[in-house]
Amino acid sequence: MNKLLHHKWTPWVLLALAAAFPFVAGAIEANYLVRVGGVIGLFMLLGLGLNFTLGYAGLFDLGFIAFYAVGAYTTAIAMKAGAPGALALVLAVLVTLAVRALLGLTILRLRGDYLAVVTMGFGEIARLTINNLDSLTNGPKGMQLAPWRPLGFLSADPNVQYYLMILAAVAVSCVASRRLEDSRVGRAWIAIREDEIAARLSGIPVREYKLLAFTLSAAFAGLAGGLFAQWEQFVTPESFVFWESILVVSIVVLGGMGSIPGVLVGALVLVGFPPLMQWKLSADWINYRYLFFGLILVLVTLFRPQGILPSSRREAELTS
Amino acid sequence: MTKKHSFLLEVKDLAQHFGGLKAVDQVNLCINEGEIVSVIGPNGAGKTTFFNVRTGVYPGTRGESVFCGTEIRGKHCHDIVCRGVARTFQNIRLFANMTSLENVMVGRHGRTSQFLLGPLLRTKAFKQEEKEIEHMAKELLEFVGLKSLGNELAKNLPYGAQRKLEIARALASEPKLLILDEPTAGMNPTESQDLVTLVRKVRDRGVTVLLIEHQMRVVMDISDRVIVFDYGVKIAEGKPKEVVANARVIEAYLGKEGA
Amino acid sequence: MLIQQLINGLTLGAIYSLIALGYTLVYGILTMINFAHSEVLMLGSFMALGLAVALPSIFGGGPIGLVGMFVLSMAGAGIINVVIERFAYRPLRHISRLAPLISAIGVSIILQNGVFIWVSTQSLRFPEPVAIDQVNVMGATISTLQIIILAAALLLMAILHFFVEHTKLGKAMRACSDDIQTAGLMGINPDYIIALTFFVGGALGGAAGVLYGMNYGSIKYNLGFLPGAKAFTAAVLGGIGNIRGAVLGGFILGFLEVLASGYIPNGAQWRDVIAFSVLIIVLLVRPSGILGEKLAEKV
Repeated sequence: MNKLLHHKWTPWVLLALAAAFPFVAGAIEANYLVRVGGVIGLFMLLGLGLNFTLGYAGLFDLGFIAFYAVGAYTTAIAMKAGAPGALALVLAVLVTLAVRALLGLTILRLRGDYLAVVTMGFGEIARLTINNLDSLTNGPKGMQLAPWRPLGFLSADPNVQYYLMILAAVAVSCVASRRLEDSRVGRAWIAIREDEIAARLSGIPVREYKLLAFTLSAAFAGLAGGLFAQWEQFVTPESFVFWESILVVSIVVLGGMGSIPGVLVGALVLVGFPPLMQWKLSADWINYRYLFFGLILVLVTLFRPQGILPSSRREAELTS
Repeated sequence: MTKKHSFLLEVKDLAQHFGGLKAVDQVNLCINEGEIVSVIGPNGAGKTTFFNVRTGVYPGTRGESVFCGTEIRGKHCHDIVCRGVARTFQNIRLFANMTSLENVMVGRHGRTSQFLLGPLLRTKAFKQEEKEIEHMAKELLEFVGLKSLGNELAKNLPYGAQRKLEIARALASEPKLLILDEPTAGMNPTESQDLVTLVRKVRDRGVTVLLIEHQMRVVMDISDRVIVFDYGVKIAEGKPKEVVANARVIEAYLGKEGA
Repeated sequence: MLIQQLINGLTLGAIYSLIALGYTLVYGILTMINFAHSEVLMLGSFMALGLAVALPSIFGGGPIGLVGMFVLSMAGAGIINVVIERFAYRPLRHISRLAPLISAIGVSIILQNGVFIWVSTQSLRFPEPVAIDQVNVMGATISTLQIIILAAALLLMAILHFFVEHTKLGKAMRACSDDIQTAGLMGINPDYIIALTFFVGGALGGAAGVLYGMNYGSIKYNLGFLPGAKAFTAAVLGGIGNIRGAVLGGFILGFLEVLASGYIPNGAQWRDVIAFSVLIIVLLVRPSGILGEKLAEKV
C-alpha cells in the first residue's frame, strides 16, 4: 500500500482518473457529482495555498478565506470593467498577492495564537468591508459576471469545463508545491516552523522567508477565488464567512500539516463527504457538516496530531 | 605575543543591560585565528548572554564587536552567520522533524543562493547547487561520525549524537569562528572525551573555537586560553594553568572563605 | 445625547468585560486562547432561556427567580467549560501551543452547530426578566434593564476581585498564573486550579450570556462569535492575563463601539470593522496591552 502510494506513476494515474471522471460521472448523475468535484478542487487549491503558511512555515491563519474573496471579487470587478476572463484571473492572483504581502508586512511579527486572532480579525474586516462597500461590490446583493467558457471545445457543459480547469490548476499547484518544498527555500520554511531561533542562527533571514510563505499562499487562494467567480458567475459576501476559513484549516490539519497528498485527501474527505451523504441519505445531512468538521478537528488533534497522510521526509542515498 | 596583528574577533567594552540588570558589562577580549578559547564562570555570570549578543540574538546595549575587521554588533543573526560566525545552543535546538541530513543542509542556507525560479523550473544551476549542498552535508555528517544516521529524524537521535549534529549543522555555514554553548552538558566522561576529540578536529579544519564550558576537566584539556566571567564582567584571562591559580577566580567560584 | 451614548457604552462594556475576564483568566494560567469561550457564553444564555421556558412559575419573573436563573446558568456554563478543558485541552497541554487552539476551535464548532441542529436554527425571544421602566437622568433615558445589567456585572466583578485577592483558592490561582510549575512544587494541585479557573471563567461567561440575552431580547445559536471575538480584543487591549486589564479593556471597547455608531457616518455599519481594527492595531503597537507585562523568550 505504502509502496503504491509513493510510486512514481501514482500521481499521473490519479490525475488521469480525475480528468476522466466528469465524462464517466455525467452518465450516472448529470451535473451533481461534477459540481461536487469542482468544489473539492477549489478547496484543494485553498488547502495547498494555506499549506505554505500553516504547513511549511507553521504560521496560524484563521482568515484565509478572505483571500479567496479578494480573488473572486477582483475577477468580478475586472470582468465587469470589460477585462477578458484570462486577464481577470491574472489580475486576481496579482491583487491577492499584493494584499497578502501588505498584510504580512504588518502582522507577521506577531507569534502563534496572536497571529491566529489577528488573521481572524482581518477575515472579518475583509468580509464586512465587501459587504459595506456597495459602490464597488454591490454589497450583500452580490455581483453578476458575464460568462467565460474557454474550454467549449471539450464539453458543452460549463460545469465540466470548470472542473477540468480547476483540476489543471490543482495539478500545477501540486507540482509547484512539491518543487518548492524539496529545495533550499522549502527547507528554510520547515526549519523556521521547527525552531525559529535555530533557523535564524543557521543563516536564514526568518522574517523574509515567513513573508514569502505567507504571500505565496495567496496566489492559490486568488486563483481559486477567480475560478470560483467565473464558474458561478455570481459572488456574494455570504460565501466567505469565518467558517470557510476554518474549513481550510481543517483540511490542512486533517491531511497532515505540510503534506501535499494530505491536503488533497483532507479536501476530498471534508468537502466531498457532506454532499455525498446529502445525495445518498437525506438533504438534512448538509446541516451536520460543520458539526462533522468540528469533531474532526478535535479528534484529529487528540488522537492523530500528525494527520491522515503525514508528510514523510525525503530519504537520501547515504552510500556513495 | 603583543606583536601587531589583527585579531579574528575583537570585543571592546561590550555591554548588555536588561533594565537595571547589567547581564554583561565592560567586556574586552580578543581571539586569534586558530585558537580554542573557553569562557568559564559561575552560573549566571553572563556567559550565555555574552554569546547571545555576539551572535545577534540580543542587540547589545553598548560597545563594539569587531569580526574580521567589521563591526557586527546589532546586525541580524543571519547576516552574522554569513560573515562566518556559527553557534550551537545550551539546550539543543535541532529541527526535530527533519532528518539529520536535512538539518545539515539547512546549515548551508547562507552559502547558497537558489531562489523561487530555480526550484520551480528545476534549472541546471538549481540541480547543481542541490547536489553540492547534499554532498557537503554528507561529508560533514561523516566528519562528526553520524553518516549512518543521515535519514533519521533529528528528534530520534540519541543525546550525544544530537550535540554532534548541531556542530555539523553549524559547520555547514563554513564559519571562521564556531561558538559552542556548553557542548558537554549532560554527558558522561566517555561522551565528553569523544566531544573533546571532535572539537580538536574542528580546529584542525581551520575553524577557531570559542566555547562556554562547565566541566573543568574539559576546559583544562582543550583550551589554549581561558577567560573567566563573574557578575557580567571579565575577571581573568590566560593559559588554563594560570587561570586556575588566579585568586579572583578562586574567590568567584568558592567565595572569600574558600580562598 | 452624549450621556445617553455613555450609558449605552457602559452597559455594553460591562458585558464585554465579563466575557473578557473569562479569556484572561484562562490565558493567565495556560497561555492559551479558549476559543470555545464564546460558545460557553451562548450556552449560558440558552440555559437561562431554557429555565424560563421550562419553569415559568419560578424563573418567569421576580427578583428571586432572576437570581436563581443567573446562578444556575452560571453554574451550568462553568461546568461545561470544565468539561471542555478536561477532554479537549488537558490531553494536549504539553504537546504544542497550536494543538489546544485547534482543538478549541473544533469544540466551538461542535457546540455552536449542536445548538443549531438540536435546539433552534432561528432567533428565539428572550423573556423580559422584569417589567421595564424608563428613568430619566440629566436628559438621558436609562431603562431598568440597563441598571440590572450594570449592577449584576459590577457585583460579579466585585465577587471575583474578593475571591482572587482574599481567599486561599484565589491565592493559589494567582500562584499558578505566575508560574504553574513552581506552584505545583509548593503543594498546589495544578489540575485542580486549572479546572477551577475554567469554572470561574465559564461562569462569568455564562452570566454575560444571560445579560446579553436580556439586553438584546433575543438569542441565536451563533450569538457568541462576535461578542466573543470582541471581548478577546478587550482582553488583549487591557493586557491579556491581567484581570483589571480585562475590565478596563471591556469598558473601553464598549464606549468606542457606541461612540463610533453614534458619531461616525454609517458608523453602525462599520462598528465591527472598527472593533477588529482596534484589535489588530493594539496587537501590533502594544502586544502586551495597557496593563500587561512584556515577555521574552530565553535562548
